Amino acid sequence: MPGLPSSVDLDECISRLYKKELLAESVIEAICAKTKELLMRESNVVHVKAPVTVVGDIHGQFYDLIEIFRIGGFCPDTNYLFLGDYVDRGMFSVETISLLVCLKLRYPNRLHLIRGNHESRGVTQSYGFYTECSRKYGNANVWHHFTDMFDYLTLSVVIDDRIFCVHGGLSPSIHSIDQIKIIDRFREIPHEGPMADLVWSDPDPERDEFSLSPRGAGYTFGSQVVKKFLDVNKMDHILRAHQLCQEGYQTLFDNQLSTVWSAPNYCYRCGNMASVLEVGENGDRMFNVFDAAPENDQVKDMQMGQDKMGEQGQLPDYFL
Amino acid sequence: MERPPPPPFSSPSPSSQTNLPSTSSFLPPPASIPRPPSPVQPPPRSHTQSNFTITTLKAPILKSHPIDALQSRLGIPIPEMIFGDNHFTLLHTPSSYSLTFSAEPALDLVDKTGSTGLLKVHYATAWSATREKTSAGIKEVVKPFDWSYTTSYRGSETPSQQGKKLEKDEKARIPVELLQRRDPILFADEVVLYESELDDNGVSILSVKVRVMQARMLVLCRFFLRLDNVLCRVRDTRVYVDFGEERVVREYTAREGEFGEVKKKLYMEGLMPDQITIAFRDANQIAHLLPVVEHEVESVCLKEEAGQGQEGR
Repeated sequence: MPGLPSSVDLDECISRLYKKELLAESVIEAICAKTKELLMRESNVVHVKAPVTVVGDIHGQFYDLIEIFRIGGFCPDTNYLFLGDYVDRGMFSVETISLLVCLKLRYPNRLHLIRGNHESRGVTQSYGFYTECSRKYGNANVWHHFTDMFDYLTLSVVIDDRIFCVHGGLSPSIHSIDQIKIIDRFREIPHEGPMADLVWSDPDPERDEFSLSPRGAGYTFGSQVVKKFLDVNKMDHILRAHQLCQEGYQTLFDNQLSTVWSAPNYCYRCGNMASVLEVGENGDRMFNVFDAAPENDQVKDMQMGQDKMGEQGQLPDYFL
Repeated sequence: MERPPPPPFSSPSPSSQTNLPSTSSFLPPPASIPRPPSPVQPPPRSHTQSNFTITTLKAPILKSHPIDALQSRLGIPIPEMIFGDNHFTLLHTPSSYSLTFSAEPALDLVDKTGSTGLLKVHYATAWSATREKTSAGIKEVVKPFDWSYTTSYRGSETPSQQGKKLEKDEKARIPVELLQRRDPILFADEVVLYESELDDNGVSILSVKVRVMQARMLVLCRFFLRLDNVLCRVRDTRVYVDFGEERVVREYTAREGEFGEVKKKLYMEGLMPDQITIAFRDANQIAHLLPVVEHEVESVCLKEEAGQGQEGR
């Protein structure tokens, strides 16, 4: 595998990104190209060993990502598995995904990145990442580099052959792990089919089987679906993200499924806690709960201004 | 608050990577920033202007137990961002008349059976056509309800001790010209009641804004729905209070327009594609482009009549 251009020093990039500095467009281009090559060789189902710390949705909340490293340990001292949704909503999607991608390139076996439903061209155009790239770089090239790379992210990870990890959930088209392995994943996330289900579906604790969403697209899956999937694949737990929980995590179906949510005070106004799930060598699971990093306060007014007040910015708001 | 202790991880297993270079050179120094308090419930904010008291409460989203309880009371799944403790309350102290805005009664007005005809995401037809091949066995639809959380909520009213309450008043109007003056704002707040990302098919949000000036105040409770490539909806409840007359006017305006039409109008206003994307996130840039589908004005005068009838009118 050819190396990065000699002008790109990964350690220096990582060091700058920890300080929340942006990388040059040409560097992003080189890094994304390199990451594609790396990801291309990953299976749709990546097998990893514990100990590993599992992280849910980040959504561009850069300061909270750094808080996760402070709490859980920095890379590569701690192994990480990220369950997707790195971008959109928060103020620093570019910095967040830049850092994660550089860490992935630098420590490819210590850090794994799963694709979330926001790692897609369609969704990022509506929910902030596209706008942020254009604003910070003056054009959409960086957005193209990143979203082209997203097409190569893996869809699932299995920890110690026991824990199945995915962004959203299960699919009626998938009974065994082998059926995930044959998906052609190198593409934009489709609206339907198993690949869509893996990144989109939600558990429904009140049901047994798959159900259709009243929205006219998408599924929820119930307790029997979870049980069957775990039996068939000889596993004992499903770990996913995708849904906001006030406590930072939620376990369902007799502890057969956990949701881990890692964006505290989501959208800078929900006031929720966040967590990371630490899977130990003996397979035990421990939620490490945390709340928003103190640095968020520095940009709070900006966040609220951008988010809620439109162009006028500051108070007083003479709304009519 | 103490920082949580570092987790008890063993050193990385040698199998996955060896010869790790020292990383200390680019790691930021360990943080010694004092921990902020946990997101505790802030106290309510309150402001009194003549005979009226305005109170707002902004709390974090509900925890899972209150969510379960609320869900079973309402009988529908609730939006993921549910600010169930938040409220805005307007109280007329002498008469105990009040008008409150909070999430639960607003959600109670959402169509819980789908009887009004359910909205579908724009790719629903394509989706159901293709899925028939792979998963034809799944027929069960999660209990149908209006998942867009459209509500015609205008607030929860408690009549005065004398039984006065808002009544239809075609002649009443909110004096926009007085509200356009830059009178000093003595109290202002914005309270979100609920919000849903509709599984990334748009946004549905109900929020209340208030501004209080010396002689008058305005409340805007706005429901905004954007269902991508389908439609936009705005349901505005404006409450105007004239402190001198002790009169409350409530104006309800429902607007709705097809997504493509709104997009066309934004384009006609000279917005570039990028700006159109941003405009679609901001109800203020959308509302005036939507045709009005319903409009109603009510009023109530809370002044003690003191045997003189309606003075000053």
